[in-house]
Parts: sequence; C-alpha cells; structure tokens
Amino acid sequence: MKRGLALILVSFLLIGLLAGCSGEQKAEAEKTKDGKVIVNFWTFWGSETRRPIIEKIIDDYNTSQDKVFVKHTFLPWGDIWTKNLASVAAGNPADVIINDINTVSQRAENKQVEDLSKYVDDSFKQQFYPHLWETVEYDGKAYAVPFNTDTRLLFYNKKAFKEAGLDPNKPPATWAELEEYAKKLDVKKGDNYERIGFYPLWGSVGASSWMTNADSGKGFIDNGKLAINTPKKVEALEWILGWKERLGENTVQAFQAEFGSEQANPFIAEKVAMWVDVGTFYTQLRDYGQDIEFGVAPIPAYQEGTGNFAEGGGFVAEVPKGAKHPKEAMDFIKYLTGVDAQKYWAVKNYDNVANKEAAEATVDELEGDDKTVYEATVKNLEQTKMFPIPVDYPDYHSRINPQVDNALLGKMSPEDALEEAEKDVSKMKK
Amino acid sequence: MKSTESTLVHSEASAKVMHETKASAAGKKKGLSRKAKDNLAGYLFISPWIIGFIGLTLGPLLFSLAASFTDYNITSKMNFVGFENFKRMFTMDDLFRTSLYNTLYYVVFSVPLTTAGAILLGVLLNQKVKGMKVFRTIYYLPAVLSGVAVYFLWMQLLSPSTGLVNTMLGWFGIDGPAWLFDPEWTKPALLLMKMWSVGGGMLLYLASLQGVSPQMYEAADIEGASAWQKFFHITLPMISPIIFFDVITSTIGSFQIFQEAYVMTENGSGGPGNSLLFYNLHMWNNAFEVFNMGYASAMAWLLFIIVMILTVVNMKLGKRWVHYEGGDGK
Repeated sequence: MKRGLALILVSFLLIGLLAGCSGEQKAEAEKTKDGKVIVNFWTFWGSETRRPIIEKIIDDYNTSQDKVFVKHTFLPWGDIWTKNLASVAAGNPADVIINDINTVSQRAENKQVEDLSKYVDDSFKQQFYPHLWETVEYDGKAYAVPFNTDTRLLFYNKKAFKEAGLDPNKPPATWAELEEYAKKLDVKKGDNYERIGFYPLWGSVGASSWMTNADSGKGFIDNGKLAINTPKKVEALEWILGWKERLGENTVQAFQAEFGSEQANPFIAEKVAMWVDVGTFYTQLRDYGQDIEFGVAPIPAYQEGTGNFAEGGGFVAEVPKGAKHPKEAMDFIKYLTGVDAQKYWAVKNYDNVANKEAAEATVDELEGDDKTVYEATVKNLEQTKMFPIPVDYPDYHSRINPQVDNALLGKMSPEDALEEAEKDVSKMKK
Repeated sequence: MKSTESTLVHSEASAKVMHETKASAAGKKKGLSRKAKDNLAGYLFISPWIIGFIGLTLGPLLFSLAASFTDYNITSKMNFVGFENFKRMFTMDDLFRTSLYNTLYYVVFSVPLTTAGAILLGVLLNQKVKGMKVFRTIYYLPAVLSGVAVYFLWMQLLSPSTGLVNTMLGWFGIDGPAWLFDPEWTKPALLLMKMWSVGGGMLLYLASLQGVSPQMYEAADIEGASAWQKFFHITLPMISPIIFFDVITSTIGSFQIFQEAYVMTENGSGGPGNSLLFYNLHMWNNAFEVFNMGYASAMAWLLFIIVMILTVVNMKLGKRWVHYEGGDGK
C-alpha cells in the first residue's frame, strides 16, 4: 500500500515537472486585451535614478498612440547579454534591446540583430552624430540606432591652480603643458605626495586613449589595417612611463588603491588636481564635492593643433534577430531616439545623447555649472572617436592589453611590446 | 484486429484494474515481477533526476562535443570544421597557453596548500581544549560566506597601501607587495584568499579524526611512540580516504576556477598582464564575448580530458597510500 502511494506521488511529481516545462511557451501574450501589439523592451537600467526615467519615456510613448504597448523588462548588466543571446538562439527574443554601441557589427555579422535599413532614410540618419551612426552600419546596412554616448574631458581643480600660481582659466592645452602644470600642482611632504598634479592612467582613461590621441585619433585598427606599432603610439607609451618613473611605482599604487567608492574619488578628495573622466563624472562632483572649484577642458593635444581626441562609448537600441514585431519595435525605437525622449533622458540623467537636436536643446535648458559642463561635452563630441570592434579582430583588446601592461610594468620596452602586440593581433585575424 | 473505441477503453480500464489487484496481491505471494517492480519504483523515484540529467546535462554535454568540431556561434552558424578548433588552440592562440599555465599554476599550489591547511586545522581543532566549539565555529565561518562578497572583501584586505594584510606585514617591517596589481603576486593573492576558507575541508577531516579509535593511540603510547610517530603512523593512514577524496575533488574544483578572476579583474579581462586569465575565463570570453562557441566547446572538452587523466592517475596512485579499514585496497 505504501508503495502504491509512493508511486502515485512520484507520478504527480513527474506530471508537474512536464507541465512546468511546457507551460512557459505561451506565457507571454502578444497582444494586450484592447488589441495593442506588445513590444518587449529589455534594458539594464534598473537603478533608482534611471528606471523611473526610462519608464516615463515608455509611458509617454504608450499613451501617445493606440497600436503598440511597450513592456519594459529590467535585466542586470552582464546577464542581459547572455540572456539575449540565448533567446535569439531559441528564436524567442525581446523586440527591442539596449546594447553596446561598439559591437554592433559583430552582432550583425553573427546574425543576432535585425537589419533595420528599410525603416531608415537619410533624414532619419542625419538626426544623429555621424561618428555614432557609423558604428551602427555594417556592410552598408543599419542594424541599430544610437541612443546615448559619452566623451572624456579634463576636469581641473581651480583652487589648486591658484595655489600653484597657475591661471585657473587657462587649462593645459598640450601634453607638454599638462606635464609642466602637473609638476607645479604636486604637493610633497618629505617623501610622500599629499597631492598629485596629474597621472595619465587615472580616471576614465587608459593607455590606449593616449596612444590614439598622439596618433592623430587613429585607433589600433584603422580602416581594417593594423596600426598598433606606430612611432606615435610608442612615444605615447614612453610618455606614460615617464610619469610613472617620476612619481614612483609606490606612490602610484598607493594612490590607485584608494580609488573606488565615490566619496573616496581622489579628485573629489582633492588629492589629484587634474583628472580625465566622462561628462557624467560631473554629477558626482556636484553631489559629493560641493566645495570644489573646478573647470573642464578638452583632453590636451599631443602637440599644438594635433587635436584633442577623446575616446567614446555608448549604447544603441536594436531589434534582436527573430523578434516577432520588428515594425512596431522600430516605431518605438524612433520615439526613443527622437528629440523629446532624448532630451528628457539627457536632462534627467545628465547623459550625452545621440540625437543632435536633443543634445543642443538640453544645453539650452540647463543652467549654471550643469550647463557649462554639458555644453563642453557636447562640443567635445566633435573630437570624440569611436573604436567599434572590427569583425575581423573580435578580441584584439585581449592581445594588446597584456603587452601594454608588460610595457607599463617595465618588463618590455614600449617598442617591443607594441611589436609583439601587433604580431599577436595579426595572428588572430579571422 | 478490429476493435471499437469503447472496447479499447474498456480493455484498458480492465487491464488497469488487473494491474492494481496484482500490485496489492504482490505483498502476499511472491510474484515473479517483485524485483522488477522494486526496480521500477526505484527508477521512478530517481526519475526526476534522470530526466534532469539527460535533458539538462547529458544532452548539452553531447551537444557541446558536437559543437567542438564546428564553428558554432550560437545564433547563425554551425559548420563542421574538423579538428580546426583544436589546431587553433595549440598553434595560434597564445592566450590559450597563458590560461592553461595560469590554471595549472593555481592547481599545483592550491591543492596541496589547502589540503595541508585543512588537515592541520582539523588536527588542531581536534585537541581537547576548553572552548573548542568556539574555535571550530570561528574557523568554519569563512566557508559559510561565499562568492562575490568574499572577493570584494579580499580586494579591500589586499589593497596595497591601506589593506589589512599589508598593514599587518608592515608591523613586522615587511613592505607588502601590490597583490592584485602586480602580475607576480596576483595568483599568490588568490591562493591566500583560498587558504582563508579551508574551514569547509577542515570539517571533513575533523569528523574523520574523531572516528580514529583511541585504542590505537593507547597502544602506541604503551609502545612509547612519540607524537610525530602517532601522527604519521596512525592519524594520517586512518584519515587517508578523506585526504584522497579531498585531493580529487579539490583538483577538479581548482581547474574550474573562474568566478574569482571574473570578479576580481576589471571587466573579467584577466588581470594585469593576463596573470589571472584562467582557462575557464578565457573559455567564457571566447564563448560570450566573441561568440566563438565552437572553439569554447573544444576548450571545454580538452579541459575535461585533462581533468579526467589527472583523476585516473590520482586513482591509480591512491592505491599506494590510501588505507581503507577492513579491506585490502578496496
């Protein structure tokens, strides 16, 4: 009798298991009760600041028309990409997803996104900054629409400038000036630094940015050709090494170790006088560093007139391959990247947006420091370079970075390191 | 054979009734299917696991074996490429070598260190001292904590100038290394972190130490054995099956190191100079960053083979030093 009972229990378990597997299939309705097409929209914007902003934009869109209903799903950063990949492979993806701007062509090449060309004409394209639009095209077709972006500026502490006898309204314009100012801004007590004027690898900037800046804005792969081991890039690495030698390995590491939490940011704590960071860094300054008198400037040029190139990133809205409602999805994307939504996003998030008109309207709307910094970022977009990952070299960073590390750790000369890096990358060509 | 639907239903129903009466009768007389029924019941009981294993483990496992011979990119391609992926591993991919080296380095040091650490701790905590339960709890605690929180904690502990580790080294006049920022020290830093959580292994040893018969120690005492002799000739042989188990599982576990490197390096990039680019991290990057799932599958299978060989070697060697009570090497 007991066994009979057990058998029954087990069969219930099994039935439950099977039912559980099949139940998911039709869980997501494709239409609302009043007949609107449901567009599933995945983002990683779940924070207290961002979520209400994107959801307001979605609400506005939903009430603006009666054919489409956008349903927002928040997925954590990182998870969202693997989930997207799995759902594309399974043929059941979201209709719109926010994804990385620099890897659009990789996704196009691997057929993970829908071709949006037929929904896009020249007047639509022209709404966006050209350097952003370039990243979404692959083989002459558009696979995404740029949403937001960023750029890097030099933030400098005006009070420190005055103390050091520098003109607070004349930020350094070239590398030579940067170095000269930095030395004046250093404050040393005995053997220890109390304040460091500048260090090129701190903030939101890396060795690659300086190499690009020196090399007339040329990335490691320029128009499909490798440009890793160039004289200018070698020189940039040597320049960075010079800073390290002057300040000493220990000083650099000791300062670096303190970074991390926002309150401990060394620029905000006035331990570093000049700092390269993205435009949104200003919001941290505004919230945690009320007493700091600061100015912003473009990243100093390698030499006078060579250009203040900065590196940029950002995100696009795209339609995953196999989405059920590409047409409706595109209608929503058009709203999302239109002037109203973009301006709302820009003002509320203090973020750079891809839509030119919206960016300019945001400048007009802001006031005070908000406006000064935002205007500087918008202006800086002209000198901002995007380095989308070429499909031929999908993981070139992983070959270059260790060699650059070796050079910066003094294990190899910059020239040898870059030569090695170029060799490694060329080996990996697909 | 002709039969209407109603008779079909009927015959099925009657078969069921017969089946049930048989089942209830099975308790009294020994039907020939008694054993078969027991087996069936057993299989039914484990069927949730079997179904899960076939559907969620064996299926994907075989799929990845097939994928390892293709250029599978998850979404659009899956063409047969023969041994191309394996060839690429050994001839073109320098990072493959780096990652294999890093992983082997980690395994070679972490397995003996954590095993010895756990035994030592187990022996210490097996002493009869007042308040031992408190010590046991304290040493076991780190094993309860897990994952990302621990890594973040250690990133702070290992911070070069303000971290507790270097501060304490400073008390003894030692200028501590930069740990996670210096490629020479990143792996030792991870090993140090792993040593902190040997409490889990300690528990196993403690349990088996308490199972060692006191009579043996008494006999040894009468013979005048020293503490060392007792440890090497009684304690170690008696707990050798647990050591064996621990060595095998921690070898396998060490080969799978991933999270630590993924969390503790920037963007899972592999750390300064790729010194924390472990095998699984490189595999993950290939699979999900550049969509080379075929290549990643091939890497996974190679790792499987490596681990398999090592485990077999371990098993063979185990016969020489593992002592099982009441049997000759069984």
